[in-house]
Amino acid sequence: MITIENLTVSYGTTKKVIDTLDLELPDCTIHGVVGLNGSGKTTLLNAIYGLKKTDSGRILYNNRKINKKEMSLLVTENYFYPNITGREYLGLFDNLAFGTDKWNALFLLPLDDIIDHYSSGMKKKLAFMGILKQDKPVMILDEPFNGLDIEACRIIRQVLLRLKDRGKTVIITSHIIETLTNLCDHLHYLEKGKIILTKNKEEFGAFEKEIFASIENKNETLINELTAHGPDHLPD
Amino acid sequence: MIRSILYIRLKQAGRVATGLGLGRCLFLAGVSGFLAFLLFLQTAAFPNSLYAAGIYLAVIFLLQLNRPDKQFLKITFIHHKVIFLAEYLLLLIPLLICLAYHQLYQLLTATFVIAFLITHVDYKARHRSMNTMIQRVIPASCFEWKSGVRTSLVLMGVVWVTGMYTSFFIASVPVVLFFLGILPLGFYERGEPVQMVLAYEMGAVSFILYKIKMQVVLFTILSMPLILAFCIFHPDIWYIPVLEFLVLITSQGYLVLVKYAFYQPNTKPGGAQVFGLLGTIGLIIPILIPLVWLLSVRFYFKSVSNLNFYLDDYN
Repeated sequence: MITIENLTVSYGTTKKVIDTLDLELPDCTIHGVVGLNGSGKTTLLNAIYGLKKTDSGRILYNNRKINKKEMSLLVTENYFYPNITGREYLGLFDNLAFGTDKWNALFLLPLDDIIDHYSSGMKKKLAFMGILKQDKPVMILDEPFNGLDIEACRIIRQVLLRLKDRGKTVIITSHIIETLTNLCDHLHYLEKGKIILTKNKEEFGAFEKEIFASIENKNETLINELTAHGPDHLPD
Repeated sequence: MIRSILYIRLKQAGRVATGLGLGRCLFLAGVSGFLAFLLFLQTAAFPNSLYAAGIYLAVIFLLQLNRPDKQFLKITFIHHKVIFLAEYLLLLIPLLICLAYHQLYQLLTATFVIAFLITHVDYKARHRSMNTMIQRVIPASCFEWKSGVRTSLVLMGVVWVTGMYTSFFIASVPVVLFFLGILPLGFYERGEPVQMVLAYEMGAVSFILYKIKMQVVLFTILSMPLILAFCIFHPDIWYIPVLEFLVLITSQGYLVLVKYAFYQPNTKPGGAQVFGLLGTIGLIIPILIPLVWLLSVRFYFKSVSNLNFYLDDYN
């Protein structure tokens, strides 16, 4: 069980991105964190992984401080070191049991080509293979479906569901709810650094309705006002 | 447009200066002042002024080739070449002042013309998927070398083979060693993703020592045949390439330390670039070598403290 207690994370001295957040993530489950751009999803994941200093609060894994040795992180940016091949990247992770070519039969990546030549979707698949090779009990995935085609999304979903059955705990963020509803066991809605809504699998329908309703109400009036004069006469 | 771009550049420079801190900024100002003084002395007489202007313009040319914002400026501004020219003329001010002071007006005009021509250079090096036996022999953990060798294998190979074949000339091996010593300095410019640092599963001290060890081992493998060839042909002065090798080894270590002292995932930190350049200048102007050694000690502690943030769980 991952337990997040009273977590606060700020940028600078004033801007609180995560605000006294409490969350419990049971083992062998997949958790989706949904929120608008800038709601704090990536900051939350970075704080869990220890890449962002926290102002207060603590993050525990089975009642002790969480450790990087137990986690793997897939970051949202598709950045790799230049001029190395996919195989060389995967070669960095020390796991002899991992069958790189067998897994690649699923992803069909040109592993002997340098990563700079990969498309963004291919880079995402390579990063995911890196996560699989690390084989850590907690997998933290920031926007793993960005830039992927339908087939790759389906493969990753299937793989994650199998890994959950094998005991992994997965935390995924996305700003698109639909990608998470048929994968996650729990969905958490993050707004202004706080989890304002948590639903289990059975309540996902209601979750989507509530979220969409709140977004639509907020923006309707402003969109009407801004587009009232046509595109050539947008108000200042 | 130019004013707003230059204003942004000023703000960026301010941010880099803030990141470096007052002490380092003063130190760099001192080094820059020293280099400007050398430039002033060198431009006093004609042949040297030509070399000084040539080196200065070569640096501007390399900047034009490698600047990461070129694509952005090309897409955003129609008159991007005017922006390049304005920026390069600003950077050339010390040289222009020196040339004007020494009344070298022909060279001054040539500098303007070459700066203008440089703004029209739009070459982008193609990334090559070269997989030779050499890349396979380099350990997976030395990805900087895998990457660097992939881009400069032909150059390194030509220089190395030339050095071996001409090792009976007294100057050949020392010059080739110097060149091979400078080449890997470019391998360590960019910060890797944090996953690649964590993949070593080591604490900060072990990680730094391992990276330096591998850098020294690979550079030794590259240099040793050349040194042996020199010793066969010139046994009475065997110590020349050995001493040069020792100086180059310390620069290689310095480079690793600079990279991780300023390490941030996925970036080319300004501080690392500035102090990395100082390491290269240290090889060209030997007076600065003791300074590089002193800085190495400083950057060892800084890199350990910086990496502890990422690797504390492996300590």
